[in-house]
Amino acid sequence: MVDAEAIRSWLSLFAAEVARNRDLLTRLDAAIGDADHGANLDRGTSAAVSALAGDAALSPRTLLKTMGMTLVSSVGGASGPLYGSLFLRMAGSAGGADSLDAPAFAAALRAGLDGVVARGRAQAGDKTMYDALSPACDALDHAVAAGNDLGHALSLATAAADAGRNATIPMLARKGRASYLGERSVGHQDPGATSVALLISTAARALSGDVSQ
Amino acid sequence: MTGLVVVSHSRALAEAAVSLAAEMLHGSEVRIAVAAGLDATTFGTDATAIVKAIEAADDGAGVVVLMDLGSAVLSAEMALDMVDPDVRERAVLCAAPLVEGLVVAAVAAAGGATPSEVAAEAVGSLAAKQGHVAAPPPGLSIVAELSAANGLSADTSNQTPTCTAIVKIANRHGLHARPAARLVQESRLFDARIELRNLDTGAGPVPATSLSRVATLGALCGHRVEVAATGSQAQEALNHVLALANRRFDEQDPTSAAAPQRSAGHRAHGTPMPASPGIAIGPAVSMRAADVEIPDEVPGDSPTEWRRVRAAIAEVRREIQRIRVAAAREGGEGEAAIFDAHLMLIDDTDLLDDVRARIAAGQAAPRAWIDAIASVEAEFAGVSDEYLRARALDVHAVGQQVARALTGAPAIRIEGEGVLIVDDLVPAQVADLDTSRVTGIVMAAGSPTSHSAILARSRAIPTVVAAGPAVLDVPPGTTVALDGTTGRVFVDPSEETLRELDAADQQARAKTALARAGAFSPAVTRDGVEVLVGANLGSVPDARAAADNGAELAGLVRTEFLYLGRHQPPTTEEQIEVYRSLADALGGERLTLRTLDIGGDKPLPYAPQPPEANPFLGMRGIRLALAQRDLLDDQLRAIVAVAYETPVSVMFPMVSTVDELADARHRLDLAIQLAGRGRPAGLQVGIMVEVPAAALKADAFAPHVDFFSVGTNDLTQYTVAAERGNPSVASLGDPLDPGVLHLIRAVCRAAEGRCLVAVCGELAADEAATPLLVALGVRELSVAPSSVAVVKQAVRQIDRAADAELVHRALTAAGPRDVRAILG
Ligand SMILES: Nc1ncnc2c1ncn2[C@@H]1O[C@H](COP(=O)(O)OP(=O)(O)O)[C@@H](O)[C@H]1O
Ligand SMILES: [Mg+2]
Repeated sequence: MVDAEAIRSWLSLFAAEVARNRDLLTRLDAAIGDADHGANLDRGTSAAVSALAGDAALSPRTLLKTMGMTLVSSVGGASGPLYGSLFLRMAGSAGGADSLDAPAFAAALRAGLDGVVARGRAQAGDKTMYDALSPACDALDHAVAAGNDLGHALSLATAAADAGRNATIPMLARKGRASYLGERSVGHQDPGATSVALLISTAARALSGDVSQ
Repeated sequence: MTGLVVVSHSRALAEAAVSLAAEMLHGSEVRIAVAAGLDATTFGTDATAIVKAIEAADDGAGVVVLMDLGSAVLSAEMALDMVDPDVRERAVLCAAPLVEGLVVAAVAAAGGATPSEVAAEAVGSLAAKQGHVAAPPPGLSIVAELSAANGLSADTSNQTPTCTAIVKIANRHGLHARPAARLVQESRLFDARIELRNLDTGAGPVPATSLSRVATLGALCGHRVEVAATGSQAQEALNHVLALANRRFDEQDPTSAAAPQRSAGHRAHGTPMPASPGIAIGPAVSMRAADVEIPDEVPGDSPTEWRRVRAAIAEVRREIQRIRVAAAREGGEGEAAIFDAHLMLIDDTDLLDDVRARIAAGQAAPRAWIDAIASVEAEFAGVSDEYLRARALDVHAVGQQVARALTGAPAIRIEGEGVLIVDDLVPAQVADLDTSRVTGIVMAAGSPTSHSAILARSRAIPTVVAAGPAVLDVPPGTTVALDGTTGRVFVDPSEETLRELDAADQQARAKTALARAGAFSPAVTRDGVEVLVGANLGSVPDARAAADNGAELAGLVRTEFLYLGRHQPPTTEEQIEVYRSLADALGGERLTLRTLDIGGDKPLPYAPQPPEANPFLGMRGIRLALAQRDLLDDQLRAIVAVAYETPVSVMFPMVSTVDELADARHRLDLAIQLAGRGRPAGLQVGIMVEVPAAALKADAFAPHVDFFSVGTNDLTQYTVAAERGNPSVASLGDPLDPGVLHLIRAVCRAAEGRCLVAVCGELAADEAATPLLVALGVRELSVAPSSVAVVKQAVRQIDRAADAELVHRALTAAGPRDVRAILG
């Protein structure tokens, strides 16, 4: 079961991975954007980690909501409201539960995806975060429905997110700043899809442990 | 006062833009709040900061949010999700370019405009800039180039140089209300005094910022108007006016619509026209003496009286805006634009200055208002152009409307009951009529396509228009009979005429009763061919009316009603809700949802389009939807969601090539994929056939559609090359033109055995044409809800569905008149 502690460790692991990959993300954004995705996201996730550090007794919903609100107000770029919506919708989906089972977590992540779509109106193939997040949700739903435990399901989702991220390379950007580049956006990996792959892989690492026990 | 919020990645940029705008305000207080940058030097946007800015800028009157790019838009949308619902109600996200949008918005807000007005003006700033930068087309209307240099050298001691130029008016009906309104609107944006003189008549000079004064120039097509600008922005203002004149003051459709029709109405001498069907018989009643009586009151102090005037104007402004929305829905944006002129009149600086002066001189608000209006009215009535002279009526009506608001007088006072005989009515007056007392209307002027006529039809008041001024002399109490179906008016009719009319009335009622009795049985010809009869819907109440009349499906849902008269597109959720309500109201029958069908003649504020010389042949229907596909994609998502619950057909409008259909179908497939639940079982796909080329290529389309729906109104106008709204060619546009019939046959032949052919234009409701349409192969007719039962009855009268001879005779006829004769 995914409880508050598990969520907390996922979020801090994600923050740590963002910090570690900060330059990579910024370099990717330099090729097709304004060279700030790593800096933006790192600013947001580290602000969120300190915001979460204060109170030990937070529910999954409050943790996710705090994460979302902090990203909204501190990231600065498009990924702020997008990641913000993702976590806020996850918080809504988590409801008042103390912990989430595998179907509930998959449902929450899908709600997050819906939030990203509602906010950014991106579609498959637009070369955005969506292209990594959507296949990850599909894979997760599928694996959970087939009776896999969350850990295994999330590792399948990680593979799907990575594949989705790689698939953004040949795409022509149709959303976000990269869309201003038109044809010149082809041949570069989308920074947002790259950070989403980190989000899913950290979930697999942080949330796998206790489910199988 | 409307507040403004500037959202930018950069605080420095936002602050500089605010300073630029402040220069235009000359000390007026407009609340402008900035939400820009994560701090003074870090670029970025923050939804929570935007929430605070919106709250700071909103004093209860609402806010307009201007944004730069990318995340600014996403964060602003997010902020709107986060604010209080009532604050959100009043807030408008504005797609205008940040800098010029802010400048225009600030001026408009300072002038007391509402958030939606401010946003609309700000968006307009882009078109103004585009129009300015675009190279002037050859053969332009400027006859003399700028002579600013001369002005300067003539008087070098003058600190504020005058720039002058001469423009030749190219608008077909001259500088009438709508183009004049544009000129006034634009002229108010500059720190410059702009004066106009009509060189051909010697009228003027008048300030370009006053609509009432500009109209008195009587500037007709071909007249030369001198434009003289002074002040710090004289040169800019002048350039701007010239660019505007070049674009014919943004008059979209120079050949048609309100202006010529209305003047034609005023010219008519006894050629009455039917405007709203039905028969009415009763004593004549008039309302010529219905002007508000201005009470003798002791005036309060001048600020109090002035506040009364402002409050009354605000009330009337809301009322006009409400009617404007309804008019745009029924008649399109071009039709509704006349109300902009009304709105501008009540905000006219000259008029208001006059009122203020009269109040300062000790008059009470109602007296000051009515006297000031009377002098404007007199100016209009004094010009030589007939159309402009007729505008005195508008001034009078709007003046009365404000006077009523000031004195609380009832809307219209009518002495007695019976048939109302009037010169002309404005829509607000028709809307206010008490139908228990007024059984019919005869107008001396007016036109069957006016808003007043549309309203009379929707309120089921039998009406005849353009009856000529002689009817006004009919003494009150005289018996008057009118037939709103044929346009006949009888003054003091003989017993025999009365009997005849009564019989006609009875017959019409009996026919309706018969049709109603069979409303809920299928429509089957005598030889056993079933024809589906559906309804065209434009609202949820329509769907209820359709169900009451026995509609077997909605053959056309004009989804535009969800999109018009607002500043943001409906969300997917909102659409789902409405489509669901339509299906519910229709008892779960099939909904044919036509995707958003708009074009340059009725642009949406959130889907801006560059002006087009000929919007009917431009970006509209599916062309526009595919070019701005976000709206389409959102709509398809909503349609797909509803299609899992209830039978739904998607119909794409104005398709002319198979590629367009393929693209549109691809978008639909993506929407289905996104839903992730497989293809909805009852989902069907079809196209509107409105373009002759599509009709002739029906064979190529057939494998890709489940149905064709022939939109005979547009198909006719494109086939005979005669625009519907243009009264001088309207008679060419008869859908029974054999040319149009050939196209319908081509569609039916290609479709045979493969897919269904429907007709959803006005022709479908023409009972005389029903046998011919069925003989051609049409198997679905979609009509106005109130016509469903009658059309079903018409199908039941058909002896032979496949009447080859009828088809042959109609297709070889020389023209629509012959076709009608054949149909009997
Ligand atoms: N409308 C959108 N929908 C989904 N994702 C988007 C959208 N716009 C941008 N993105 C994602 O955001 C990423 C860029 O984030 P970031 O650099 O932080 O913002 P910005 O583009 O404002 O500088 C892109 O790589 C893309 O994946
Ligand atoms: Mg960036």
